[in-house]
Amino acid sequence: MKRSDIKVLVITGDGINCEEETALAFREHGVVARIIHIYDLIHTPSLLEEAHIFAMPGGFSFGDEIGSGQILALKLKYSLGSELKKFIDSGKLIIGICNGFQALVRLGLLPKPFTTREMTLTHNRQGHFINRWVDLSVPNSKCVWTKKIVNQTIALPIRHGEGKIVFAGDLKTQAITYEILINNQQIALTYVDDVNGSYQRIAGVCDPSGRIFGLMPHPEAAISEWLNPSGAKKSDAVGIGASFFESGIEYCENNF
Amino acid sequence: MSIVYRFEIYPNTDNLNASATQEESLKTWFHKYLNRSIKNIWEVRYFLVETEKPIANIRDYAQEVFTDSVVEVMLSSEDENLEQVLGWLQKKNFQSPSLIDISYRPGVTDNSAHAALEALKLIPVLRKVEMKVASGTMYFIETDLPLNSIQLEGLAYEKLANNLLHKVLITIPSELANFARMKTIVFPSVSIVASKAKLVNLEVSNPELEKMNQDNCWALSSDEMIHIKNYYQSLKRSPTDVEMEVIAQSWSEHCKHKIFSSEITYSESNLPKGVKPIGEFTVKGIFKNFIRGATLKIQEERKIPWLISIFHDNAGIVRFDDTVDVCIKVETHNSPSALDPYGGALTGILGVNRDILGVGQGAKPIANTNVFCLAENHYFEDNKISIPLLLKNPDRIKEGVHLGVQDGGNKSGIPTVNGAFVFDRDFVGKPLVFCGTIGVMPQAERGLATSEKRQRPGDLIVMAGGRIGKDGIHGATFSSMELVDGVPSSVVQIGDPITQKRLGDFLVEARRLGLFNSVTDNGAGGLSSSVGEMAQLTNGANVELEKALVKYPGLSPFELMVSESQERMTFSVPKDTIAAFLELSIKRSVEASVIGEFNNSGFLNINYEGVEVANIDLHFLHESLMPMKLTGHFDVSKKSPHWIKQKIAKPSLPKLDGKINYTQILLDLFKTPNIRSHEHLIRRYDHEVKASTIVKPFTGTPEVGFSAPSDAGVIWMKPHGGGADNALAIASGICPKVSKYDTYLMAEYAVDEAVRNAVCVGANPDEMVLVDNYCWPDPITSDRNPDAELKLAQLVRASKALYDISIAYGMPFVSGKDSMKNDFIGMNEHQEKIKISVPPTLLVTAMGRVPSLSIVTTSEIKNTGDLVYLIGENLLEFTSAFELSELYEDYEVQYPLPALDTKKQIECYRQIYKAMKNNLIESSHDISDGGLILALAEKMMGTTMGIRISLDMDEKSLTNFLFNESAGRILVTVKPANEKAFEEILKRFTSMLLGETTNNGSLFVKSNKLEILKVSGQDCMKSYKCQVGEI
Repeated sequence: MKRSDIKVLVITGDGINCEEETALAFREHGVVARIIHIYDLIHTPSLLEEAHIFAMPGGFSFGDEIGSGQILALKLKYSLGSELKKFIDSGKLIIGICNGFQALVRLGLLPKPFTTREMTLTHNRQGHFINRWVDLSVPNSKCVWTKKIVNQTIALPIRHGEGKIVFAGDLKTQAITYEILINNQQIALTYVDDVNGSYQRIAGVCDPSGRIFGLMPHPEAAISEWLNPSGAKKSDAVGIGASFFESGIEYCENNF
Repeated sequence: MSIVYRFEIYPNTDNLNASATQEESLKTWFHKYLNRSIKNIWEVRYFLVETEKPIANIRDYAQEVFTDSVVEVMLSSEDENLEQVLGWLQKKNFQSPSLIDISYRPGVTDNSAHAALEALKLIPVLRKVEMKVASGTMYFIETDLPLNSIQLEGLAYEKLANNLLHKVLITIPSELANFARMKTIVFPSVSIVASKAKLVNLEVSNPELEKMNQDNCWALSSDEMIHIKNYYQSLKRSPTDVEMEVIAQSWSEHCKHKIFSSEITYSESNLPKGVKPIGEFTVKGIFKNFIRGATLKIQEERKIPWLISIFHDNAGIVRFDDTVDVCIKVETHNSPSALDPYGGALTGILGVNRDILGVGQGAKPIANTNVFCLAENHYFEDNKISIPLLLKNPDRIKEGVHLGVQDGGNKSGIPTVNGAFVFDRDFVGKPLVFCGTIGVMPQAERGLATSEKRQRPGDLIVMAGGRIGKDGIHGATFSSMELVDGVPSSVVQIGDPITQKRLGDFLVEARRLGLFNSVTDNGAGGLSSSVGEMAQLTNGANVELEKALVKYPGLSPFELMVSESQERMTFSVPKDTIAAFLELSIKRSVEASVIGEFNNSGFLNINYEGVEVANIDLHFLHESLMPMKLTGHFDVSKKSPHWIKQKIAKPSLPKLDGKINYTQILLDLFKTPNIRSHEHLIRRYDHEVKASTIVKPFTGTPEVGFSAPSDAGVIWMKPHGGGADNALAIASGICPKVSKYDTYLMAEYAVDEAVRNAVCVGANPDEMVLVDNYCWPDPITSDRNPDAELKLAQLVRASKALYDISIAYGMPFVSGKDSMKNDFIGMNEHQEKIKISVPPTLLVTAMGRVPSLSIVTTSEIKNTGDLVYLIGENLLEFTSAFELSELYEDYEVQYPLPALDTKKQIECYRQIYKAMKNNLIESSHDISDGGLILALAEKMMGTTMGIRISLDMDEKSLTNFLFNESAGRILVTVKPANEKAFEEILKRFTSMLLGETTNNGSLFVKSNKLEILKVSGQDCMKSYKCQVGEI
């Protein structure tokens, strides 16, 4: 389908706060991105049917109280659960960034939708919020959102307090879960260094289909080299973060 | 009979022994500050749920809501097997733990509980169930030496709890297995009874009037009390308590700025050498003449078209973009932060965000700044000085204010792009917490200017956002008083970022839809202030107080009127859009209540349940107060003795082979409080949310990392609806250390530092505005303030300097604020009365336009072989190394101090800007604390490159040259190919070509062909980051 016909829904409300830049990151690639308040989406679920991409941006939904993403996940589960399932079953794309990733995980959509939860994101090893740029590897994976940058080392900002990936069960069970993700090619992004204590330095995972993707770093905050933290690198060039959005959009172009 | 459940959240067995950084850092804290050895500590969160009737299966619902099934389990008061927790304790190696249980006092904002209640209501079967939720935290704790419950309680209040906000309950080891906490569960509830509005009899003697004034925390002067008394005599009636509260609030120093509008007679004598005489004169209002006066003059002279709205609204608005307008406001929240550092700073940042939300028709916050002036505990410990009774450990204040700003900014999705930490021992009495916010608004919406307020008679008064509680009552008057024992606990409160985020999002949406005519925030003084101010424009309002939403019943009418409960905005909504306004508020989870109507009666008329409780003539309220008449005399020798009597031991200047060891001094300077890195704290602020922060707090190269300091924040306007090739620079200047020498110079330095920092990143000095924030010690004479005349004279001098430099630079002030009672009066450990006044402090914030992104320049050097220039004076004739004098015993700053040639300076900035526009400058960095050599090292250490400079100077000149501080100086690097073009533009202002950049990662200084300093960038960075640790 044509790029200009691709519809992106960017959810907002209840403390989500990266909706504007996330929508901008999509719009820069010529698609229609609409910012929609969660209340309006719940009351007009047909919007989900019409959309091709559902984006859950970063932020502090419900102030991160009880657990980051926890209450947003509950809200989505009880008010849009069946619509989201339909959306996923019809082969459409979801991206969750930072708090959006946390909510996808709490919602049980990652790493494998509609199964018992076996993964969570919890407090960083350091015990506090961190904002810094980190180096990331992009392994070969099923993920449709990283296709354009596979096997590259890239830099993106992280801005989170709860980004440490932990698997359920004892050490052996955890290793098995990790092994399965590796074998399924679901590990889509890893930190080069151990920045927050995340299991095997995982920074982003996708579901077995590769269409649902969650990551802690913020690609939408790196869509222009003006945002690069290095003075020498600031320029009009497109930033590496744009590649994630471009990848997702290309998938839509080719498959819808 | 209600039922209360308790749910405690524990890690599951797989995660029982997962490492917990927080718990380790608590152990370290208790050991460091209280010398208590904690063997084991375990933090566990819990929730209480109160319902009218038992709820079937509540345990399952609570488990889904409160726990993360992957890593957590829940223990509930419904459980049979409570003992299992004892097994977990054993597994965590507790032998006989005590339990510290910390809950909120009734009525204190409990954000976790609010969120938890909302979450429970998401479960379909609970949607309609009446419930209340409270949250708490418990700590299982085991110390090396057993502590009794009183000791444990004391320990908890030192770090884990604040007795103004929390209740602490201790369970000793022998009682732990009784599980009393699960069996008798007390839900914290407010039970207060409203008192009716009553008449206040002012027909009493003056001493009785004064007693009444003090008992009620009105903080009015005796003249003001008599003015009120006379006024009500003329009305032939007594005021009501509501009227007295509204008047006291409106006339508080915090709201009325009486000192800044007073008539001051200034004189000076015994001026030290070089201190600028400003003559003897009487100024009728510092604000009117020196601040607004300067701005109006500049506006007229320069015919500036971009000053859209200045001084009369919640923030100044300027047009630095083709599509959006930009606004800026900086506030202080000192007194609340002294009492509760976390809540004080949190409500400080949320409060200034609301100023932006409440400017014109409402703007959207896009960036925060914060500056903290603090003391450090180790200074008192190292020098064996006891911190006066009642004062908090300054390190705890630092931790608290930092966390408050972190939560306030991060949870609101507003990047903290600029700020500073300033340390001085005299901030131990009152910390200064400056919070600033920049906002954007479309220039017009539906053809009407967004910058204008348009409330009309007949509009409804709508309060939206948070509810009213007892919190914050007398906040405005309290901050106008010194910090003394016995303040009512209602003056502190915790902010609720999520409620405010929803309110802010709602406000911007409602503005777009044109659903209201005007809006303002509820800050100090609550409804009294917001409705009172808005009513000035329509000339009247009628309020029905019982319609305001409350947190709990039992509030008296005066409390409803002056409560400062947070997260509230007051809207002026036309009757024909009220339905749509309220409908949208429901959709956006924002509570709103219609509480009255604006009119043109000339009166603020307030009713409660149909009875009039106040009817105040707006003219009397806002216009009748006569300015105070004050006298200030500048003579630095008249300063009262310092509260610390003892001499502070310091080392001598380090020497090597009989010569001054410049390398050592440089590394020592890097570790001093005002120079060293606070990266570990700053990186806990989100400085990049909204994806528009071009220049971030730290800079450098990927190889070395980004840890070198930037000069200012730069925000891209494109993500905010502005120009794709347009940006804003935000910078600050503050130097209280200069105040003891001369506040005129201090103010000049502060303005120049802010401007200089903005110029360094590429801002156009001809498109730049300033914001002033004064934090002064009390300048009003009384028996406990003998040197008030000096402090007032210092205020006049600083303000005169602002005027002079603002005019010379052609840079207008667009907003500002003053906080005038930053003193602590208390007892030292010998029960002697002491007074600690902050050094006169002025924060200047500069906001400048960077009209093209290609002009943006950062501080780190970019290439090897570039030329390094000093722009500005070489200061060889001065002895002004302020940081050296802080550090070493045998160095003293001497008058005369270097003053600025302001006319020449602004020309210099214009030329730098021109050179940057022509791409002639590769890097630029301002010279400030620590002098030239520090700035050189900072430019180098974020890269793998180095700098080599050659001089011809003797030892005295070298010390002056390398370490002297002043204003107006910048280091830049220039490509050799651009040498000519650069020199052409800046030859009048460049004092010297210092040397060049190298590829060897070291700073190398030669003088008279001898090596006098050699240090690697890595060593500089190591010293600079001495307190940073792992990020």
